[in-house]
Parts: sequence; C-alpha cells; structure tokens
Amino acid sequence: MKNHQFTTYRTVRNGLTPYSGPWTRQEAAHLLRRTTFGASYAQVTETVASGLAATLDELLQDQPLPTPPLIVSDQDGGTIGETWVDKPYYVEAGMGGVNARNQSLTAWISRLMTDEAFSIRETMVLFWHNHFAIRSIQEPKYIYRNLDTLRQLALGNFREMVKAITVDPAMLRFLNGNVNRVGSPNENYARELLELFTIGKGPQVGPGDYTHYTEDDVREISRILTGWVDYGYFNTRNGDFGSSFVPQRHDTGRKTLSRRFDLAVINNAGEEEYGNLIDVILEQDEVARFIVRKLYRWFVYYEITDEVEATVIEPLAAIFRDNDYEIKPVLAAFLGSEHFFDVRSQGPMIKNPLEFLYGMLRSLELPFRTNTPLRQVAVDNAVARAAGGLGMFHFNPPDVAGWKAYYQAPLYYRMWINSVTLRERGRIADVLVNIGADLGEFGFFRVELLPLINQFPTPGNLTAMIDELAGHLFPRPITQAQKDYLKNLVVPGLPDSQWSIEYAEYQANPNDENIIAALETKLRRTVAAMVAMPEFQLN
Amino acid sequence: MKRRSFLRKASLLPLPLILNQFKLSALSQPFLAGEMNDDDRVLVLLQLNGGNDGLNTLIPLDQYDNLAAVRSNIIIPQGDLLQVEDTAAFHPAMSGIRSLYDEGKVAVLQGVGYPQQNRSHFRSTDIWNTASDADTVLTTGWLGRHLDARYPGFPGDYPSVEEPSPFAIVMGNSVSETCQGTSGNFSIAIADIDNVGQLPSFDGGADLNTPYGRELDWLRITIAQSNEYATGISEAAEMGNTMVPYPENNEVAAKLQSVARLISGGLRTKVYIVELGGFDTHADQSVAGETGTGVHANLLRTLSEAVAAFQADLQALGLEERVLGMTFSEFGRRIRSNASQGTDHGDAAPLFLFGSCVSGGITGESPEIDPAVGVQEGVAMQYDFRNVYGSVLMDWFGVSEEAVGELLLDDFSYVPVLAACNATTSIGARPQVQSPDLTAAPNPFRESFTVSFVTGNERARLALFNAMGQQLRVVSDRSFSAGAHQLNVETHGLPAGAYYIHLTLSGGRRITRRVVKQ
Repeated sequence: MKNHQFTTYRTVRNGLTPYSGPWTRQEAAHLLRRTTFGASYAQVTETVASGLAATLDELLQDQPLPTPPLIVSDQDGGTIGETWVDKPYYVEAGMGGVNARNQSLTAWISRLMTDEAFSIRETMVLFWHNHFAIRSIQEPKYIYRNLDTLRQLALGNFREMVKAITVDPAMLRFLNGNVNRVGSPNENYARELLELFTIGKGPQVGPGDYTHYTEDDVREISRILTGWVDYGYFNTRNGDFGSSFVPQRHDTGRKTLSRRFDLAVINNAGEEEYGNLIDVILEQDEVARFIVRKLYRWFVYYEITDEVEATVIEPLAAIFRDNDYEIKPVLAAFLGSEHFFDVRSQGPMIKNPLEFLYGMLRSLELPFRTNTPLRQVAVDNAVARAAGGLGMFHFNPPDVAGWKAYYQAPLYYRMWINSVTLRERGRIADVLVNIGADLGEFGFFRVELLPLINQFPTPGNLTAMIDELAGHLFPRPITQAQKDYLKNLVVPGLPDSQWSIEYAEYQANPNDENIIAALETKLRRTVAAMVAMPEFQLN
Repeated sequence: MKRRSFLRKASLLPLPLILNQFKLSALSQPFLAGEMNDDDRVLVLLQLNGGNDGLNTLIPLDQYDNLAAVRSNIIIPQGDLLQVEDTAAFHPAMSGIRSLYDEGKVAVLQGVGYPQQNRSHFRSTDIWNTASDADTVLTTGWLGRHLDARYPGFPGDYPSVEEPSPFAIVMGNSVSETCQGTSGNFSIAIADIDNVGQLPSFDGGADLNTPYGRELDWLRITIAQSNEYATGISEAAEMGNTMVPYPENNEVAAKLQSVARLISGGLRTKVYIVELGGFDTHADQSVAGETGTGVHANLLRTLSEAVAAFQADLQALGLEERVLGMTFSEFGRRIRSNASQGTDHGDAAPLFLFGSCVSGGITGESPEIDPAVGVQEGVAMQYDFRNVYGSVLMDWFGVSEEAVGELLLDDFSYVPVLAACNATTSIGARPQVQSPDLTAAPNPFRESFTVSFVTGNERARLALFNAMGQQLRVVSDRSFSAGAHQLNVETHGLPAGAYYIHLTLSGGRRITRRVVKQ
C-alpha cells in the first residue's frame, strides 16, 4: 500500500484487449468473486495455478443439469425422494403441499448456489432471472420450469432464450400473455419485451416515440403475441402443464411495425409468429448494446462512461451480434479483458445479499451441511430466508424490472444498503463468524477458522497470516493501519511473536480442544472485525 | 437452569415455516427475580493484557528477604517501596493508588486465579473473559451472561426508551469478549467519544478518484450514520464534564477521562472496559540496578496515575458512589525471576478494586515465598476469580447469590469486596470474614502430611494443588461437626516439589498453605 499513489492504472482505453497483466491471488479472486458466489481459499489457489485462459474455459463450460428438486413432505401427495416437477397436487393437503414444494424449490436453488464449483452458470441464472424477472407466481412447477429454461440457456443463445421466455407458462401468467387475445389485446408483455427484455427504452423523442420503439409498436406486437395460453396451473389430476397456442384466440391480421423497426411487416404465421417477431426485433443493433450494458452493470460497475460505452460496450455488442447472440463469446471476451481486470474495476460493487451471504459461506467454508435430506431442506431454507431478510429472495424481485440495484439511478448497488439491512448484514456476519447459528436438532453452524488459515503458506507468522486473510476476504488491499488494528486483535497488548508461539503450540498439539478453542477465539474476533469493515461489503 | 444451558447459542437466522415445529431454546429469565434495580451503577474493568507481575505490584514485606533471594535481579529495594500495611507495600510507581488506599478506596484480593491454571495468554484470557472452568470452553462472556439474563430481548429490542444507551462500552477499537451474549455482544467499541460512530480512521486507503474509493467512502459514511447509539453518546460526551486535570501522554487516563465525561453526561451504560497492554514482561521488566524503574514501573505508573485522577474526578463530580473499578489480568508471573531481568508466565496474582464503596484493605494472605522455590512455580490461588466476579454481581448489580451460582460457578462462594455500600437488601450485612486457621505437618514431608483445622458445624472442602495451580485431588468435601479436625493427606506417586493445600469453609472462608514434598 505504501506505493499506492504511484500505482499506474491500466486505462480503460485498453478495453477488450485480452488481459496480460499479473496473475496472482488478487486477480484470480477478483474473477471468482464476480463469476461465482464466492471462492474458497483452495479454489483461488487452483485458479492461480490454472491461469486465466483455462479458468475462463472452465467457468464457461456447459455443465449437466442438476437433479430436479425432490418431494420432501407427505403433504405433497407424492413419494418422498421423487421429484415433484411433473407431479399433480394432492388436493386434500391444500396449501400444505404447495408450501412443501416451495420449500423444496427454495432449498434446491440455495444448495446450487452454496455448492457450485468452477462454473459461472448459477450466477448467470440469477442474471437472467433478474433480467426476465417474474414474481407472484404461486405455482412451484411453473417457477421451476421458468428457472430450468433460464438455466438451460444461461450460456446459450439469447435469441432462443427470448423466444422460450415469451411463451413460458410463468411469464404468460405474470405479464398477462394468457389473456392477450384477438379483439381484446393485452399490451403488458409486449411493452416489457421491448422496454426491459430486448431493446430498451430510449429517451422520448416524440409523442409515443421512445427512440428505439413507439407506442404503436407496443400495440402491434401485442396483436402478434395473441393466442398463447398456459395450462395446468395447480393441476390436481396429473402433472401436465405448459403453454399452448389457441388459433381462435390469435389475431391473424397483418401487423406493421414503426420506422424504428424499418417498417417491418409481420404476416400471420400462427404459432410461429412470435418467433418471427423476435427475429425482427433482434435485427436492431440496439438490442446487443442493451444486453451488454446489463452485463456490464452485473459484472463490473453501474457507471457507464462515454469511454466505457465506446471501448467496452460497443465492441462487446459487436461480438454479440457477430456471434448471432451466442452468450459465451461475449462473456469470454469481457471477463478475459484488460478492462475487467483494470484496478478500477476491482472492488466497487456493493455485494448483493446473495453474494454477501453465500460469499461468506463459500469463502469461509461453512457449507451448512446437515445429516438428512429433509433436514437439509430446512437448513437451506433458513439460509435462503436470511438472504431474503437482506432484501433478495429468488422468485421475488420487486417488479418486472428486476432488483433496483441493477438499474435504479443514482443509487444502483447502494440500494442494497440502509440502516436496517446494514444492521442485518452485521448481525448475520456476527452469527456466522462469532456466535454460531443454532438450528436445534438441525445443527449448529459456525465458521471454523483454523482449517482456513492452516492452508496459508505461513500461518504461524502473524503479519503473513493477516495479509493472507485480508487478501482472501477483501477485494482490494487494506491499509497498514487496518492490518495493525487486526493484528492487535489477535495479540492484544502482546508482541506479534506471541501468535507464533501459540500457533506452534497448536501445531504440536493439533487435537487439543482447549488450544483450538483459544486460537479460534482470537481468529473469530479478528475475522468478525474484518467482516464488519465496509471493505467486506464490496466486491 | 444450569450454566451448561448457555453453552449453545440461540439461533439468529430467520427460520422458515418448516422449522416452526421446534422451538428454539429461548432463554428463560431465571435471574430476574433476584435482581434489584441498580441501573445507576457503573463497573469499569481495567484489563491488564499480558499477565501482570503481582509480586512486583503488591510486595509481601513479610516475605521480602525470601523474595529478594529468588528475584535478586529485579527486587526493588525495600526502602523504595510504598508500604501500606505491616506486611505489604506497593510498587514505588503506584503513589496514586497508594493515596487512594490510604483513603480506604482500594481493595486488594491476594492470590486471585483459578484451579488448573493455564499459562497460555490466549486460553487464559478466554477463561477470565468467559469465566469458564479451565477445562471447559464457554462461548459467552461473564457479563454477557448476566446481561442476557437481565435483557433477554437483546439485541433486537434495543436500544429502547428504557435502555437508550449501549450496555457496555469498550474504550478502544474492538468489542469485549466479557460482554459476549448468546445473541450478540453487549459492548460497542468507541475510539473517540468526540467522533462517535466514526469508524476507526484508516487513512491512506482507497483513492477517492476510483470507483472503489467512491463506494467505500459512501459505505463508511452510511455505516457511521447508522450507529443507533451515536447520537446518545455524542450528547453525553457534550453534556459531560470533567473537573480535574488528568495526566498527559497516558492512554489509560485519556480513556478514563472519557468514561467520566460519559457518566457525568448522563449515559446509562453499565460497563466500561479499558485495556492496557504490555504486561508480558519476559525480559527487562525493570532496569538493572534501578529496579524501581523500567517497563513494569511505567505500566504501573500509567495505571496508578490514571486511576487516581479518575477517582478524584468522580469525587469532584459527585459520582463516586456510582462507580466501581476492577483490574484483571490473564495470569500472574513466576515467583523466580529469569536471567533476562524479567518474569515468565505464572499463576495467581492480586486483583484490585477501586471506589468509595469497596471494603478497603488487603484480603487474603501474603503469598508464601520459599527461597528454594522451583523455577516453574507461580503464586498459589487463594480466591477463584469467579467468586470475585460473582460477588461484584451481587453487591454491585444486585444479582442473587443463587443466580450468580448459575451464571458463574456451581459452588460459588461470596467474597466481601464491597461491604461499604453493597447493592442489595437480600444479602444483608455480612460479618467480616476471618480466614480459618490451618497447619500442615510435617512440612517438608516425605509421603504424607497431616492437616489440622477448626470448623463450626459446616461443610469443609480440602483440596491439593500442585505448584502449577492444577488441582490434583479433593482430599475431603463433606460436613464437619464443630471442633478441631485432622486429616491425613497421602501423596503417593506424586513427584517431589511444592504443593498447596487449600481449605474452603462455608461463607467463603478459605486458606491456602504451601507444603513441600522431599
């Protein structure tokens, strides 16, 4: 830090040039913290050894789909241990069965975030869930299918994803596509398809003209999308559900878009028609820019300067278009770029609640494992609800625009932080590090720090140990004054060498519970102070 | 409810519906009944980090020659000492505390420690902070358990109208483990009462011209503004007063001055904690040839001058009767000094209490110094520190004796430290406790020795400790009828060396005798 003022920043002008700077724990951890829900010490070590190119390949690799969520309650009507995603409801159980499935689903997504290894997929699932936001859908099977679609295409093709989501049963219900019919069109989905999902709303430049589309386009597109319905919502007869095209409900007239879409004409094509529409929308260059800007705000920072627009957004959008909206080439270029690793890209993102909570579990290696699958569902729910208490719960973004932190100027990520959530973040961190979460018969969960620092190169050296902890937990180096403060928490009123003595004593008696407890106490108070530092809120 | 029930932690993660079927072990309120409303009382803990050398703090004059023999390189000339009793003197740097002693405002307990003394800084600090047995790990602090029992809704229900102030304040940068409760730590850390809520200032950090620096700065300000106690503390600091000069360049004095301001400014905080480090004096604890000076002298002077100024300030402010001070340190040091002009980790040591409410004077006996004492030996325990803590809880915070037993020690026994103005009517006036008499013969012995003592109709517990402070066996623990008794203590299988025989009678009367096996 001594030379901090003299650091030469690689400037943004390098843009998408493949990153060729130093490859240390600093850069490796930066990549993992942004692309996964946090990294263990060993994962960072492995990433340093693998190098950037191989790590990116692995992060972007297609993964097999996870086993679907399982029946966890006799209220469900099915067999415990089988999946419910294709099963009917047990009508006598009423909401009991629905609640059981919701808990199973919540636990399932929570577990995927907790356990995911070297893969960007769950992060991208959340990105797309934020992008194609749904909420207030009560039917767990609908939510599961929506999420499954996003997961299958998370690293696939954006064109295919827009098409799939347009007729997704949950989306049809959420944005009223299921009541959009000839003679009584409903514009809800058509509007969001343009404003939020594909091309984005530009400045209003005339009556009903938002630069990239017009009110007339909203009307015409709602006609194009008529005829689609969902079926099988809370089906109690069998597990069948989905969406279907009902020709009688479809407006078969000719539709003409505005000059914003080059006056494109869309002729009746029945159930193929929505696909043709999306192809027309995606011909506009603005679509790629709009999506890439969202990726930028998800992976780097909310502020998009003119320079960033020119050197990062434009070239990435070009890659997106040149690859026919394949997502991987964009991520590969972006996450491997000079700009992504620029020192100014490191650390300015306030962690969202999931990054904060799951990041702690993953970086401090507290996987919240319990001893039976049913108990695991309860425990994983507790973790997910804790994130909910911080302001982020899956399937419950505040509205169709997703979580405000990713679009609401001027606060953006700062939206996550207020006096209530700040206190709650502090409390949860204190529970996990210091006090322990006592879930009764379900288990007692508390971070153990000796197993972490034992992995360090020289854990018995206090200065090195604090440096390593800080490097593991913070996105940027901290000051010498902070390190001195932390050291004094380990050895209050004592010389640094006291740590070496106590640690050597532990090494000589690695199973002595009193010694372990004494060291854990010191490490806990130190790490508790670290996770209470504002730097820990940053990513 | 037994102390064990505090071992597990209450959950703090919100629980989903599926967990509703079991109830978390919510803490009941077993201790409230016995408590008085003593909200005006303040306890100031002075934590001496590193292990204070008690034998160089309170010097046993009746053992002076022997002490001089085993500490020839660091012993302070007798004429330089500040004599306070026939058998005891303070270190020459402690003139401030000596004056308070003369006014009856200092109580000293000899030989405060615990059985099975652990000589690791980390572990022994944990034991003192949590008030655990030496072989038990507790995750709550002794004050945290007391406050948990008294304020079961913490932390969610506070601050409140009734309790607007933080329960405990550490004058420093980190919270105290003594105040760790089951659901949160009752203490907050304040580095500077004139800038409350400011995070510890770590200058030279992030560049504000970078996005990282910008967001970090915003977070710092937001966190500072969200400190719910900040306004109340700032008001108290502003309203508060200080009436006497405090010594300069004295970190403890500056902190105690802040405490005086906060108390006089109306803050309702019950516990303040001030730490002073540097007591781990393995080498050069005093200057060769000028043994009354050096590192340890400077530490004691810092402490003594600060406490004297603080006490004078409290008196001037009319707050004396509301404030009690108490020192503690993780262990005392060895009886023999080492060749480096220092002392190594030992066992028990004197504990100091300050204030106009203490029973002034020295309680307990001078530690016995054998000129042939082994290099490993520390000072024997006379008082378990948990009995001191518990007596403070009773006399100062009005906790019942039964509740203290549950919070601290199953076989708690009261030590009268605050007879002058103790808090509760439930305790009533206690007679001054006389130490019982005990003789051990022969001494030195070969295989066994005989202990002679006198009891009333009461329970008596006799235990044997080794020189490391570890309890080896309970010789007897039963009821005796009134009269003189003799018990034979067999030491077959024990190596030659020094041992301590420890007798405890009802009412907290106790005595320790050193015996030597040949």
